[in-house]
Amino acid sequence: MTLLYVLLGTAFGFILSRSGAADYNYIQAMFLFERFQLYGIIGTAVAVTAPGVWLIKRRGRTAAGRPIEIELKPLHRGNIVGGLLFGVGWSIAGMCPGPIFVNIGEGKVYALAALAGALIGAGVFGAIYRQIQHWFRLPPLALGTGDG
Amino acid sequence: MPLILTHMPPLHWAVAGTGIAAVTLCLLFLANRRLGISTGFEDMCSFVTALPYFRRSSVRSGRQWRLPFVAGLFIGGFLSAVLSTGWRPIWDLGMLDQALALGPAGKLAWMFVGGLFIGFGTRLAGGCTSGHGIFGLSNFELPSLITTMSFMAGGIATTQLLYRVVFHWQG
Repeated sequence: MTLLYVLLGTAFGFILSRSGAADYNYIQAMFLFERFQLYGIIGTAVAVTAPGVWLIKRRGRTAAGRPIEIELKPLHRGNIVGGLLFGVGWSIAGMCPGPIFVNIGEGKVYALAALAGALIGAGVFGAIYRQIQHWFRLPPLALGTGDG
Repeated sequence: MPLILTHMPPLHWAVAGTGIAAVTLCLLFLANRRLGISTGFEDMCSFVTALPYFRRSSVRSGRQWRLPFVAGLFIGGFLSAVLSTGWRPIWDLGMLDQALALGPAGKLAWMFVGGLFIGFGTRLAGGCTSGHGIFGLSNFELPSLITTMSFMAGGIATTQLLYRVVFHWQG
């Protein structure tokens, strides 16, 4: 299975690299409403994934016959505040999490600094989880905010 | 507009979007995994810190698939470079170079600050463009709709402020 994940990640990374999703200029052009490219990519991805997910859930089993269990993400105030903060970071760096890794692979040296920042940002979040949990109405620490 | 990496135009958006959907559906159908990348930051943190948050069972079980997937992202970017202009260290930042002539140290600092927002924000929101934006929206999850609208709003506000107001960008 590990090889399958590496191969799927490689395909994903190659597509992100060649689509503009890992390109600083295309990210700014999206937020400036100057290019349709990224809206088209995300819109197409959702439009094709949604019926696929529906079909797979209806079947209820993986290709190998194991049950499909999709863990839903919890609803809390962090969705809004965390989303806004992430948007600020996406604009500054011109990368969201996947493209940080893709850009490092491409040879974009500055993406290493974005990764260092992201790891420290995630580390700080984990360190203060209990302090901010109440205000943001986050789930118990054992659950966290959800995988994704 | 050519890509910074390849100096060539990107894939058509419909092709790229369909390819992303294919990977997302393969992860679910072959391995019962929901696409999501930002939790990979937690997986990496879990190797170097003993904080209780990074000792959760979901982090330790997710590492088994997410870290190989993230390794694939590096490889995909590397292959993309090798198969186009050849791999080389890149410092180009396109529009940012035209607006603000930052040196290497300035670029690293700029990216580090952006990374802090990305790491903290995605974990507070419980996901990023992939987990909320692609998988969550495709599965009609309300928290994902709220998060996606929030990060689009944050990105639009920041880029508009930087390029239209601070940099006086003339598209």
